[in-house]
Amino acid sequence: MDCDAVRTTLHDYQEGRLPAAAHQAVRAHLESCPACAHAGAVERELTSVLEHQLPQYPASLALKRRIAARWPVATPPRSRWARWRPWLVPALAVLAVGLVAAPVLYVERTAGRATSVRTAMVAEAVNDHLRVLSSARPLEIESGGLHQVKPWFEGRLDFAPVVSFEGDADFPLKGGAVGYFLDRKAAVLVYAYRLHPISLLVFRADGLRWPATGESALTTQDRGFNVVMWRQSGLGYALVSDADGRTLAALAQRLHAQP
Amino acid sequence: MSAVAEQALAYVDALHNLARHLTGNDADADDLVQETYARALRAEHQFTPGTNLKAWLYRILRNTFVSLYRRQRHDPTVGGLDTVDSASQGAADEPWLRDDLELDRLRKVVAAEIEAALMTLSEEARTVILLDLDGLSEAEVSDVLGCPVGTVKSRLSRARAALRLRLRDYAR
Repeated sequence: MDCDAVRTTLHDYQEGRLPAAAHQAVRAHLESCPACAHAGAVERELTSVLEHQLPQYPASLALKRRIAARWPVATPPRSRWARWRPWLVPALAVLAVGLVAAPVLYVERTAGRATSVRTAMVAEAVNDHLRVLSSARPLEIESGGLHQVKPWFEGRLDFAPVVSFEGDADFPLKGGAVGYFLDRKAAVLVYAYRLHPISLLVFRADGLRWPATGESALTTQDRGFNVVMWRQSGLGYALVSDADGRTLAALAQRLHAQP
Repeated sequence: MSAVAEQALAYVDALHNLARHLTGNDADADDLVQETYARALRAEHQFTPGTNLKAWLYRILRNTFVSLYRRQRHDPTVGGLDTVDSASQGAADEPWLRDDLELDRLRKVVAAEIEAALMTLSEEARTVILLDLDGLSEAEVSDVLGCPVGTVKSRLSRARAALRLRLRDYAR
């Protein structure tokens, strides 16, 4: 392999994209040719400059929201009328039989609607968690403690997030950011458990169709993430993490214990 | 929902990064990304499930940029398609590249300098460097650019050589 051939394959060589035989040939050449070895060092440095110095430009939250607003979403639950319209005439024809079956159908329909609401809210919570983690700057305010994070939300939200758990050795508070939950702004507080980030979303609960869990927490899973959701004093809370369910429940308990 | 609708939004940051480096400003990058997603939705039936969705979106973005650019060719802030000139293509032969100081110079390059140097390259050169940096395989880059894999290799090699040449001016 001559110098010209080696120079054109240096980057592929460094990226491990050459077949084994070619890789060996380049390696052997570099060991015996100082000029090409120097060129290799320069190539490596150029890659390093690109990786570490070139500015990255993630999409702004505004752009993400504009695109998401026009994006097709999962089919929403059909209305009662749309659900029953094709069956109305046959249903009338068998009304007598239907009267007997009606209580059963009602229970099934209600359960299905509740499942849809629950699925949509849990999916949104997990999506928010992923959006925060995938952001180039997941934390808009790095935590110096809750006394710094909470005031930071002032003027950025149309409500005051009620959170008093300041974090502890098990669940240190890492920081916060403003996110969105469905159609409303949300305070996102990020705690950690070992290497697992945990997002706490706090948002206004008014006008949201909430899973029929009352004031008790909803504990579930979605796409491998554990989710705990609850309502308290007009606010909705969602904890999302890939940490295990018991860990998340422990954090939820500490958050619940807030005055 | 289709695979496109379900997964495409996950790539908005990566797409915006490429768009920003192609257009050179936030407003045009936002427009380009929005148009990319609009076109992706219209063409989602053309996406083959199981293939690389990110590369497919990159291709749409790049084609959109090229078509918009050709309508705005007078825009002096955007490098032409063929602005990797013959001098830069021969960069590997430049004496300065053999200068022992080159490594030191490269190590002193700051963000503004590498960004400015990149912006002087052609759209194609910038694209191939950024897609390579993003970890796309040469086969995937060839799909984005619509050229053979061998051509990707040579274009990437020339683009990086040209970038090194440009950095010489910024890093002195």
